[in-house]
Amino acid sequence: MGMIRIVAILVAVAFVPLLSHATEVKAISSTQYLWYPDFQSADTDQNDLAEYLRLDITKLDKEGKISLHGYGRVLYQFSTSVEYRPELANDTYGRMYYFYLDYRDAVKDHLDIRAGRTYVYSAAISGTIDGAYLNIKNLGPVGATLFGGRNVIFDNKSEVGTGGDTLFGMSIYLDTIKNTHVEMSYGRKNVDSDLARENVGLDFSTTPHEKVNIYGRAQYDTVSDNFAELLFGVKLVPLKDLILRGEYYQNHPTFDAFSFYRYFNVDDYKEMSIAAEYQVTSEYRVVGKYAREDFGDDASANLYDIGLFARPIKDLVLNVSYEYRDGFAGQLNGFRINGVYKISKTAISAGIDYDDFRRESSRDGTAKKYWAGILYEHSKMFSASARFEENINYNYDPGYQGFAAINVNF
Amino acid sequence: MLNNGKLKIVLMSTALLLVVVCLSFARTDHKEYREAKPGDCRDCHGGSSVTENHGAFFVSEHKELARKASSNCADCHQQSFCLDCHKGGNLETEQKSLSRRGEYMPKTHRSDWISIHPIKTGDNPSNCYRCHETPFCTGCHTRQIQQDRGKMTIKPHRPTFVSPGVPDPAWVSDHSANARRNLQNCQGCHPQKGDCSNFACHPNLKGR
Repeated sequence: MGMIRIVAILVAVAFVPLLSHATEVKAISSTQYLWYPDFQSADTDQNDLAEYLRLDITKLDKEGKISLHGYGRVLYQFSTSVEYRPELANDTYGRMYYFYLDYRDAVKDHLDIRAGRTYVYSAAISGTIDGAYLNIKNLGPVGATLFGGRNVIFDNKSEVGTGGDTLFGMSIYLDTIKNTHVEMSYGRKNVDSDLARENVGLDFSTTPHEKVNIYGRAQYDTVSDNFAELLFGVKLVPLKDLILRGEYYQNHPTFDAFSFYRYFNVDDYKEMSIAAEYQVTSEYRVVGKYAREDFGDDASANLYDIGLFARPIKDLVLNVSYEYRDGFAGQLNGFRINGVYKISKTAISAGIDYDDFRRESSRDGTAKKYWAGILYEHSKMFSASARFEENINYNYDPGYQGFAAINVNF
Repeated sequence: MLNNGKLKIVLMSTALLLVVVCLSFARTDHKEYREAKPGDCRDCHGGSSVTENHGAFFVSEHKELARKASSNCADCHQQSFCLDCHKGGNLETEQKSLSRRGEYMPKTHRSDWISIHPIKTGDNPSNCYRCHETPFCTGCHTRQIQQDRGKMTIKPHRPTFVSPGVPDPAWVSDHSANARRNLQNCQGCHPQKGDCSNFACHPNLKGR
């Protein structure tokens, strides 16, 4: 009921100015039919009918500072129920991704407000809340954010959680010199009114020279008294078409404050990586990455990634990548090829994924995915798209899935 | 030692300098470039480390930019652009694959993700939790255990005992090493405290 009340108030508030101002309304609708196999239901095919809608109402006031944004879907599940999955009965589900009132410059040049269901993010914590987000900006070189509300948790096609699931946070940021940003943040998450997470975050990024960017992030978990995440990276641009990147990342597994898991000892995950991206010509780009992963106690893995992005002719885009991984947890050897070709109002896309994998002391095999898609743009207002996919792997031989959609831009 | 007058001048000059510098280098509004293709960014940013940030590895890098309070993502993107990947939406019908539950999956999820995820979740385990809550893992794993434990084909790790109540030291060593490295993964099948505290090894475990 609480949520319905908030939405009703927001809608009422938003539509009052419609009487006196020329507001702009934009909406995108996508009506989709989806089919897919569910390996937990004796491989029975499942079918859904979904209606996605995004609504943007802007210029709700004379100055154009107030707007309303919403995005959600309603889904009808035509499912074949099995004995051990009673939740698969035919039913209707709704999911609201966001619905908020955006008031830019509520205090001129100093305060932005978002109220309603909105996505919030900081180095300390992030999530979707039913609440408010305030950005207090341009206080000299300093700014601050404050956010808080009910933590929205999406589950299988619907929502779970209670009023006791909350998420709060704040940050103070400093944009001192060109392209330098320092931000301290604090975040807290409650589950059923009990403290689950409390983090302090630090983000920094600076560009001391046109060709050098240095950045980092730290997240401190006050529950375990450990740095949950540490990141330090350098990006270099020695040549106009060459980007190099080196990163060190460390992660300490953390758990909810009330979880018995937090009383066990854990090893840190450490990763060192280097990556390069080179624009050979305006039509061809090659990329490569190597990462050394350290899981503690002499367990490690190597990850190699190479790729090619190409536009050999004007309307054709190709994307090829190859990944090789060995070491702890398993071996993977796979490639992906996909492309898009445009013919007038139609874009045809297709791809192949192939993976040969070997999980440590358990499953191994190959997995193949073949897919093709089409997007037809009849006009700026109407378009239609579809995707068909065949999977051949441990779970399906074959398994078919896909969707067909009709999209309308109002 | 600075006297009060000099200290005041230094502090005020520093504050003034910070304000001037900050105002001089205000963030560039990118709204007018909303319809531009990522390749067009090179016209202004080519050869500069400020950008080219929508490159090949942007899927893993974007969080560093997006989480800044003063980020300019919203100049071009609505929140639906984020949530279509993070929360399983598909408004703009990108050619994404479907998950076991009919949700749209980001392209980071390779071919047979159900089989491969035990390997790929090893590549930075915290990545999973950026979109999924722990119940997402337990929901599937618990059901698998209820149905047919053998189908999971995971590395065998049932405790072995040398005598009643005395676990095999080799198993203890292997179990503790794996648990230290994979403890977040353990939650997937063992959300209940009883799974650990029932054994003599962890008799007085706190928490729930």
